[in-house]
Amino acid sequence: MDFTTFLQQMINGFSLGSMYALIAIGYTMVYGVLRLINFAHGDIMMVGAFLVYLAHAAGLSFPAAVLVGVLGAILVGVLTDKVAYKPLREAPKISLLITAIGISFFLENLFNVLFGGVPRAFPAPDYLTQVIHIGKLYLPTTALVIPVVTLLILAGVLWVLYRTKYGMAIRALAFDIPTVKLMGINADGIISLVFALGSALAAVGGIFYAISYPSIDPLMGIIVGLKAFAAAVLGGIGSVTGAVLGGFILGFTEILVVAAFPDLGGYKDAFAFFFLILVLLFRPTGIMGEDLERGRF
Amino acid sequence: MKKIVSIAAAAALMSSMAFAKEVKIGVVLPLTGPIAAFGQTSKGGLDIAYAQNNKLKNGDTVKLVVLDDRGDKVEAATAVKRLLDKDKVTVILGEVASSNSMAMAPVAEKAKTPMITHASTNPRVTRGKKYVTRACFIDPFQGAVMAKYALDNGMKNAVVVTDAKQDYSVGLSKAFKKAYTGAGGKVAKTVLINSGDKDFNAQVATIKAANPDIIAFTGYYPEAALLVKQARAMGVKAPFIGADGVGFPELVKIGGKDAEGFMYTDHFNEAAASSAEAKAYVDAFHKKYNKPADSMGALAADAYGMILSAMNACIDAGKASDDKECINANLRGTKGYKGITGVITINENGDAVKSAVVNEVKDGKFAYKTTVNP
Repeated sequence: MDFTTFLQQMINGFSLGSMYALIAIGYTMVYGVLRLINFAHGDIMMVGAFLVYLAHAAGLSFPAAVLVGVLGAILVGVLTDKVAYKPLREAPKISLLITAIGISFFLENLFNVLFGGVPRAFPAPDYLTQVIHIGKLYLPTTALVIPVVTLLILAGVLWVLYRTKYGMAIRALAFDIPTVKLMGINADGIISLVFALGSALAAVGGIFYAISYPSIDPLMGIIVGLKAFAAAVLGGIGSVTGAVLGGFILGFTEILVVAAFPDLGGYKDAFAFFFLILVLLFRPTGIMGEDLERGRF
Repeated sequence: MKKIVSIAAAAALMSSMAFAKEVKIGVVLPLTGPIAAFGQTSKGGLDIAYAQNNKLKNGDTVKLVVLDDRGDKVEAATAVKRLLDKDKVTVILGEVASSNSMAMAPVAEKAKTPMITHASTNPRVTRGKKYVTRACFIDPFQGAVMAKYALDNGMKNAVVVTDAKQDYSVGLSKAFKKAYTGAGGKVAKTVLINSGDKDFNAQVATIKAANPDIIAFTGYYPEAALLVKQARAMGVKAPFIGADGVGFPELVKIGGKDAEGFMYTDHFNEAAASSAEAKAYVDAFHKKYNKPADSMGALAADAYGMILSAMNACIDAGKASDDKECINANLRGTKGYKGITGVITINENGDAVKSAVVNEVKDGKFAYKTTVNP
């Protein structure tokens, strides 16, 4: 591999990694508060991307369509919490997990029935799909925009968590829900806020995913959701910064496997997940993860 | 006891009388999931063929039971089981993806139920099977056509892109490489992808470094569209050649102008349709869907037509229209069946021997280039 190709692969790893990181933040947020692995996260992502597609097809401009997509995803996320998760607040965690899987199947199949399973072309605007040439290197605009968005969102989420009253309530919920209720805080309202935030992040992730790879279908969230989940676990689930780190590690691993061993490229997922197992063997809580009974975020 | 006997006798009498029966054909297709376009277009063609003819010679009616397997191997095998156990179908039609047909074939074989796949081209689908037939050519032929076309146009240095998850792609790559290197071409590199993946930038960088004359892509259309887009964005200029897995409108819809010049081998192009059967089908297709007739639909219609013709042959021979053994024997013995996609003859392996066409994406449409005979 010559140096140019190597640099190009580094750019590719960075761009893919930032994509995973963006989606993993939302995953880890919801887990941090409810200790719920929200398997429907990838599907909320799909809902966000689909709503943008539909709104754009209905004649809205792209930015307006993005707004519709994010707001719609928030609505679906909060509604999911109210309908499916809230009645199970006191139930064992495993019931919640199974419900999350159920919601995931429900959303996938609902969109399958409504819109069919044939992939559709996502209307990515030209200004986001340009390619910048630097010498022999090719740098897609998204490879610049996505990391910036990811870092902005990371900063924003950390700000909300540590600098606002709501953030304090969210962190308190992560420790102990009944005690928070005793303090006179509207716990359900705060949980709704967490879902709204998580769904908005999922939608933003889904929209950027669809811009980078402009083909959307109702099952698009499954694989990328799984990867983002792996990234969140790798970084230490519950830790927002860890999710970003995990996303980058996963992205680089995948790209480097393909780059270094093209003959094994078909097994890149196996390598990525093998790496995940390796990390968990030595650090069961993930790279930045804390002991489950101590603080989070 | 007496009563039971008389009821049984009455039932036997009823069934032997010339009441018109209903014969069921079970259809398994990927109507949703990553390769949904295969299933949807197949169903589109099947619906037309069914509307044109759904009665047998003796007045029996044919009924289709269509199941969706979401493009999944396990679901495909389960669907066959359900069709056999619950719906009691006589014949099974499907799947498109070779991996899925291969999952279905053992189930049908075990139940001694004839199965015909309209579009699975991997040779292993019918290998060692007595009850599995196909209405399409196989990959060694298709791969040879790809290789010949590339070499005839002076492209002697190829990168092969294989979808490691699909038996179809693995087999087709092998066939292409054999024919290509055998005729003097050089395979610079083989690059692997996985169906369902969307990021191929790492593979594209490898392809770019190899600087080929042509990129032989043996996978399916969703990956083809994204790969060609990412390749062109990164400045790869070599043309692509694919096979029957890429010729779908989604290639153009998602690939946009980057898909221009994408060549592929296929079963059918309406521009080359000359027989009366093909013309009648194409007319009906235009009337119903108002778009060009695709190859998956034409193949599905042919498979359906072959089943009906086998059933009619059984009726002619004085057998019941749902006699599985007889239908299977007639399907496997198909000779010179005048189908929409050409004249179909089934060889001793259960594979169809027929011609292929080469198409190219031009101005967002699939332009016909040439026909290659076996």
